[in-house]
Amino acid sequence: MAMERIPCTGCSLLCDDVLIGTDGIFIDKIYGACLKGKERFNQPIAENRLTSPMIRKNGKLENVSWDVALEKIKQILANSSRPLLYGFSTSSCEAQLKGIKLAKKINGFIDSNSIICQGKVLNVAKEIGMTLTTLAEVINKTDLIILWGSNAAASIPRLLNKILFSRGKFRMTGREIKTIIIIDPVKTASFGVMQLRDVALHIEHGKDLELIRVLKEECCKKDSVLEKSVAGIDKEELNRLLLNLVGAENGVIFVGQGILRTHSDDNIIKELLELVQLINSRQEKGRMSLALLGGHYNMIGFEQVALSITGKNHSLQFSDNNLIETKDTIINKIEKDDFDCSIIVGTDPISHFPFSLSKNMASKPIICIDNRKSATSDIADVILPSAITGIECEGLAYRFDHVPMQLKKVLDPPSGIPTDEEVLNQIIQKLDVS
Amino acid sequence: MELYKYLPQTNCKKCGKPTCMSFALELLQGKVKISDCTPLIEEVKYKEKYEALKELLGGEGGKEKQLHIEIDEDLCDGCGICVTACPVNARYCPPTLSGKAPDVPHDKHQLFEVKDGKCVLLNLEHCRRLEAGGRERECRVCEIYCPREAIEIIYI
Amino acid sequence: MPMKMIVNIVRMVDHDQAKEFAFGDEKSLKENLGIGFINPSDFEKLGLVKSLRIKLSNSFGDIIIEQEQDENVPEGTVLMPVSIWSNQITGVEKDEIQYKNIEVEVEATRDPVPEYKDLILKIKEK
Ligand code: SF4
Ligand code: SF4
Ligand code: SF4
Ligand code: SF4
Repeated sequence: MAMERIPCTGCSLLCDDVLIGTDGIFIDKIYGACLKGKERFNQPIAENRLTSPMIRKNGKLENVSWDVALEKIKQILANSSRPLLYGFSTSSCEAQLKGIKLAKKINGFIDSNSIICQGKVLNVAKEIGMTLTTLAEVINKTDLIILWGSNAAASIPRLLNKILFSRGKFRMTGREIKTIIIIDPVKTASFGVMQLRDVALHIEHGKDLELIRVLKEECCKKDSVLEKSVAGIDKEELNRLLLNLVGAENGVIFVGQGILRTHSDDNIIKELLELVQLINSRQEKGRMSLALLGGHYNMIGFEQVALSITGKNHSLQFSDNNLIETKDTIINKIEKDDFDCSIIVGTDPISHFPFSLSKNMASKPIICIDNRKSATSDIADVILPSAITGIECEGLAYRFDHVPMQLKKVLDPPSGIPTDEEVLNQIIQKLDVS
Repeated sequence: MELYKYLPQTNCKKCGKPTCMSFALELLQGKVKISDCTPLIEEVKYKEKYEALKELLGGEGGKEKQLHIEIDEDLCDGCGICVTACPVNARYCPPTLSGKAPDVPHDKHQLFEVKDGKCVLLNLEHCRRLEAGGRERECRVCEIYCPREAIEIIYI
Repeated sequence: MPMKMIVNIVRMVDHDQAKEFAFGDEKSLKENLGIGFINPSDFEKLGLVKSLRIKLSNSFGDIIIEQEQDENVPEGTVLMPVSIWSNQITGVEKDEIQYKNIEVEVEATRDPVPEYKDLILKIKEK
């Protein structure tokens, strides 16, 4: 059986080196993928695969034909003036494009998972700029890796393998010349990869801003030496951090949820971006860049698609088939109860959102388009099954470092199951026939 | 250096090593046998030490402990760090140089491979602890860096 | 005696909801997601024994979860995987969902961890 290297869609790292052996019906050999990736490749035959359209009748979900389900959706949308569309981060860019088209058509509000992840970083970056980097650059050139508020070993299992242990094209040494600094209040599994030269910083909960401010001040000075501890971090460790920050030839800061989630205002991101810029302006030979770590594999894709066709990267509100200005996000839309039905594509907000939001969502009709059962599909009113992008259909996806990758198709979807893109298209067409 | 305590510590060089300390080192690495230290066996006053040493190494006379690398399936999440980090893999599987999964079917020297989301040990023969010399023989890279502490190098 | 602690909601590879859903088994879902990790010293302060559960409550709601000791968790903190269980104590503040540094009162309890089904029903009921 021929083995094929294909991109894994288990997380935003989109490892393109995973080896798959398949007979066209099952994937029976998976080499190189982590546990998370393996689960993803097992999705086609998972217990919770959705295989038929369903609608809720008398409180129970029943299998129905596509026509009946689409008719029901048409009905729901006909009675709705403020629909919400949410998800899209596990769909291809093509499907995301269709999603935005649908939102425009039904005058809906569309948002992707990035809003509860790293969407706001890009918002701030639009104003003050951001130095990005790519995975290849990190592998080949980086000598300093900072994990800030991220437990990569558990959330993106192969990240450390790729960035820290790889040797790269231009040199034969890997781990030996790379320094890793982990800033986290919890001693996570990621700390396991550290060696003597590395710096483990156990910061106090929620004190990241304080640390950034101090670093900003200190990194401008020449040969600055800190005299006291900051944010629960010992001054020796801090000085080592500072030394590494300004001395690195090619450093990269991986920003995780720990730092984004802990501070609800945009301030921290602004200061972090400014810190990176400051270091860069002082750096003579090297540079410092940022990389944002996300969960779902195509979160960046939505931002890119939305940005390129509307000029706004998330939270798009359409009215009279035109984009209008709004400060709302999906979160406060649901909080304020400012919607009357929701279309959820390929995600599971009921498992992510606070109970109060879930309750608001459940009180309105929910249309769920996904390939698997989840807490959201368990309370949905209409369910449309779809093919698994990256396994059962092709598509474009953006890796965490904003590099587009072509996903491959290795299996046929179960008969009669269309792709996300086709499902959305069918809805659009259904709405067209009066 | 617990083993050293059980040697005669006379540095008599009968084993062919310059010192008892270096003998102990090589004993640990499995390069020499206890019986190579003749005074230990022949002289009655060392009998206790000899017995204790045998106990410690678990071997009957010439039979020494064998290297094992155990991977805890429950802990491992297939991150592939061991695959990339192991110097033997790096040498024989070029994709690992850039952090990629090695080719399948695997090279005959390859030690680890991640299959179905779990790491498997393919063969042990080419591990540096058995093949290399000098300091390289002390390799513990896979054990040290596994973030989930799933790898254990032991001698049974 | 309730004790003030903070909750951090995290994603963990072995407590991943997507994976648990894939097994289609509500029991393993509950076992792996209705859980919190605490420092052994908090375990003692709360007067816990292995068979007891902990009840977390704050202004957003309350939830009973299983507890497990983990010395890597800092004192005064509960780590929980994102799930329908952890959602019971999260809320929205300043238009953002709070996943980290959520203040809760923690106490030991004998009551069982709520079932997945019941939580879904609780969401659905008017
Ligand atoms: S790290 Fe992510 S992309 Fe890579 S194999 Fe694992 S799940 Fe797939
Ligand atoms: S033969 Fe035994 S006593 Fe003599 S040097 Fe070697 S180890 Fe030491
Ligand atoms: S001890 Fe060294 S050579 Fe042997 S398997 Fe581990 S990393 Fe490879
Ligand atoms: S380093 Fe550890 S967790 Fe990672 S693949 Fe190897 S054994 Fe598994």
